[in-house]
Amino acid sequence: MITAKTAKRRENKTERIARVGKLARGKFVAPEKVPEVLRRIVEPGDILCLEGDNQKQADFLANQLATLGKKDLRDIHLVMSCITLPAHIELFRKGMIKQVDFCYAGPQGTAVADLVKAKKFPVGAIHTYNELFARFYVDLTPRVALVAAAQADRKGNLYLAANTEDTPAVVEPTAFSDGIVFAQVNEIVDRIPHIDIPADQVDFIVQAPYPMHLQALFTRDPAAITEVQVLMAMVALRGIYEKYEVQSLNHGVGFNTAAIELLLPTYGERLGLKGKICKHWVVNPLPTMIPAIETGWVESVFAFGGEVGMERYTAARSDVFFTGRDGGFHSNRPMGQLAGLYGIDMFIGASLQIDINGNSSTVSKNRITGYGGAPNMGCQPTGRRHPSKSWLKAGAEANPGPGTSPGRKLVVQMVETFQAGRVPTFVEELDAHEPSIRKALHGVTPVMIYGDDVTHIVTEEGIANLAACRSVAERQAAIRAVAGYTPVGLKRKKRETEDLRARGIVQLPEDVGVRPSEASRSLLATQDIKGLVRWSNGLYDPPSQFVDW
Amino acid sequence: MTGAILFHEQTARQRIASLVDLHSFAELLPPPERLTSPYLAQLGIPVSFDDGVVIGRARIGGKKIYLAAQVGQFVGGAVGEIHGAKLTGLFKAAARDKVPCVLIVESGGVRLHEGSSGEIAIAETMRAIFECRALKVPTIAVIATDIGAYGGIGILSTCCDFRVMTEHGRLGISGPIVIEKWMGKKAYDSANRALVWKTSGGKTKYLLGDADALVHDTADAVRDGISKFLGKSSAVSLASIKARQKELEKRLKKFGATSEPDAVWKGMGVRDIEAASLASGPEFAALAKRGK
Amino acid sequence: MEKFAKAFPSKPLPSKTAKPWALAGVVGSGNLEVLLERGGKPSNAMECHVETSIPGYKAAWLAALSDFAHHYAAGGTKVTINDQGAPPVLVTLRLRQAYDHLIKGDK
Repeated sequence: MITAKTAKRRENKTERIARVGKLARGKFVAPEKVPEVLRRIVEPGDILCLEGDNQKQADFLANQLATLGKKDLRDIHLVMSCITLPAHIELFRKGMIKQVDFCYAGPQGTAVADLVKAKKFPVGAIHTYNELFARFYVDLTPRVALVAAAQADRKGNLYLAANTEDTPAVVEPTAFSDGIVFAQVNEIVDRIPHIDIPADQVDFIVQAPYPMHLQALFTRDPAAITEVQVLMAMVALRGIYEKYEVQSLNHGVGFNTAAIELLLPTYGERLGLKGKICKHWVVNPLPTMIPAIETGWVESVFAFGGEVGMERYTAARSDVFFTGRDGGFHSNRPMGQLAGLYGIDMFIGASLQIDINGNSSTVSKNRITGYGGAPNMGCQPTGRRHPSKSWLKAGAEANPGPGTSPGRKLVVQMVETFQAGRVPTFVEELDAHEPSIRKALHGVTPVMIYGDDVTHIVTEEGIANLAACRSVAERQAAIRAVAGYTPVGLKRKKRETEDLRARGIVQLPEDVGVRPSEASRSLLATQDIKGLVRWSNGLYDPPSQFVDW
Repeated sequence: MTGAILFHEQTARQRIASLVDLHSFAELLPPPERLTSPYLAQLGIPVSFDDGVVIGRARIGGKKIYLAAQVGQFVGGAVGEIHGAKLTGLFKAAARDKVPCVLIVESGGVRLHEGSSGEIAIAETMRAIFECRALKVPTIAVIATDIGAYGGIGILSTCCDFRVMTEHGRLGISGPIVIEKWMGKKAYDSANRALVWKTSGGKTKYLLGDADALVHDTADAVRDGISKFLGKSSAVSLASIKARQKELEKRLKKFGATSEPDAVWKGMGVRDIEAASLASGPEFAALAKRGK
Repeated sequence: MEKFAKAFPSKPLPSKTAKPWALAGVVGSGNLEVLLERGGKPSNAMECHVETSIPGYKAAWLAALSDFAHHYAAGGTKVTINDQGAPPVLVTLRLRQAYDHLIKGDK
């Protein structure tokens, strides 16, 4: 039986499509007609989803939307993973947005902070990826979704190529709630390699005059890895990977973890760890993983998104990566985040600021970046039930009382005590506590990873095992002990540090068998991007800004 | 493929230690003498105990050499008064003692903070180099890093008998950013790293005959490259200069109109550009028929 | 530029070292050079002279140097540092490298 409400929603969709009329030929819209079509299909008060994450962007549709003004479109409730493009900011400047719910604003972090100051950024909440995707199915279901695909066929089936990313998570709730799905595609072809989104979930398609924007976000040039980062990587490998026998993991995008990837075939091999650690990965296809993959360390890699230049390599290594029948790389952000939440032994990543309680943040007074997916992985999933060696060992160390989980995911923060320009990483209080930011976020302090979730902090000074601390005071002392010569570190007391060290809660490099004088870039499997290409047997095609040959 | 210490990543002192016979290096004017630049100190710029160049006596394969290694990280390896005087003195000593002189180059040229004395020192060093050449004392420049040899040091390097380069090395007079500034981004985009290396990088310089050897980016390979030339010297004569002039005219005629860097590689006999791009040292040389 | 000097108590250096002096590091952006010499006075102190391009971090410098003097037998040495904004971790690393070099030579 059709209820009055669903009938209304469906009727409304029919009306919107009818308004487009001859501006479209079937599903297909000419690029120059896009602004007018958008004006006709979006209504005031709509929840509008603009697809775009930290990698691929429905940039043509976003740019066309930004050509409209407040008289065309107003009171829009924007929901989107990432505020990335100047066009996104333009919508706020023009006053078209009544509310925004999003996850991350990396490249536009400064512009977002400015909008907040100017009170032109009516934010509902900053989410983690999976929270926002979840709310697409609860109370933030898009009425209109503007998405990006690699190809469409003549029927309107979409092929997403390596960058599946958010698209299914955006299209499904929209299409199954009588919303409108409008896709920009790089090209329209007779036959697509495989169907990612069936045509009956797509209402309109435009072949964009330029290919969608793709950010090479995960390419780390080995040439930029410092010897200090090599030292930290050695300490992490011995003090955490080896100790807990970490089998499944996520790596952040920083140079610290890139150093670990490049140490596996050399230092890791020497330690006899091959086959014992780092077998299953939930990460994007990181170019710095190529040497570890080529030397047989890696059994599987599942990814949130693709990475520019890794297409031929991933197709050739389909035993390791998830690929379609055509060999094309497959990614999926919500499923990747879910895997990172429940399926892995360890999350390890970097941060800009860590406070004395272990809370971390990437927000500063002049830059609001949000979260992305790190908190989905950098947290303790108390819903987890399946055991693993690492999970049980870390759980036993944390000494759970009655009524808590027997295991613990390793949540590791790996930071140098100082950022570039001698800015200390360790602080007594996070910049994120700034009252104007908290007010804009309805009282929430934007903390990336909560101190309670963190099990270890690794710095160039050593490892602090926070999970093994028995009191708040002890945890603070452990953090000071590895905070080096920052103001936070200078407040440590020698005797406290020695006591924590005796109990194994604080470990210096020599305590885990690392001699700092051994730390050398020559331990890396390769020292530059060209070396990665050579390791890949010419299958990796790095973005041009990295090519000097 | 793993564990090798790349020559271009070493510091000047590490390069010396890994090139010469064990314990054979005796540094001249070592750090404890604290000969630092008074000009930089006045300007509030950090000074260095070797003023950006390490010089001394050493042996390679038992043969005596004089050796200098510039410190590219210290004000771009630029030549100031003390730095320049060390270079001049070393090449003069080489001429006096008839001992081959090797310069591990890493410099953008004259240090702006002490420009006149730097200019004069480079000119005097060139004169000392030609003194060596007149006496058939070999002079060898090694250019192996992206700081490379530019400005006055670019010219000085080409005054030496021989140049040993790696794929990382770059040789020129005006740097890419300067060229772009004067000629425009359309004429030369300094951010296009592939273009920059195809025009001034070691491989292209080898193809064009500006580099005499193209070696792998390791101390062992660089040492072998140097050793080959230690017994040789090419005298400067009117005839040799005229012959070189002819070569350059031919080069200009052949490539002067092209704006496509690959055209130079193709013109010099490189068939498989992609393979050559990834090849290094002798493997690259094997892929090209270097026209003479 | 900021300039300061201080001596830190340290156990005397071994009576024999491979070299009379050792230098580690390079003066470059975010880096520093450490010159470590025998012949500092007295034999139970490490005499330090620092010249740094970034003023305002004296407390961190002194703490790092003091820790080194505490952990290594460096009494009777003179440490001279030219710094161009290196993080403290590099101070410690270069000191260790120079020390190793002084004691053991070029291997």
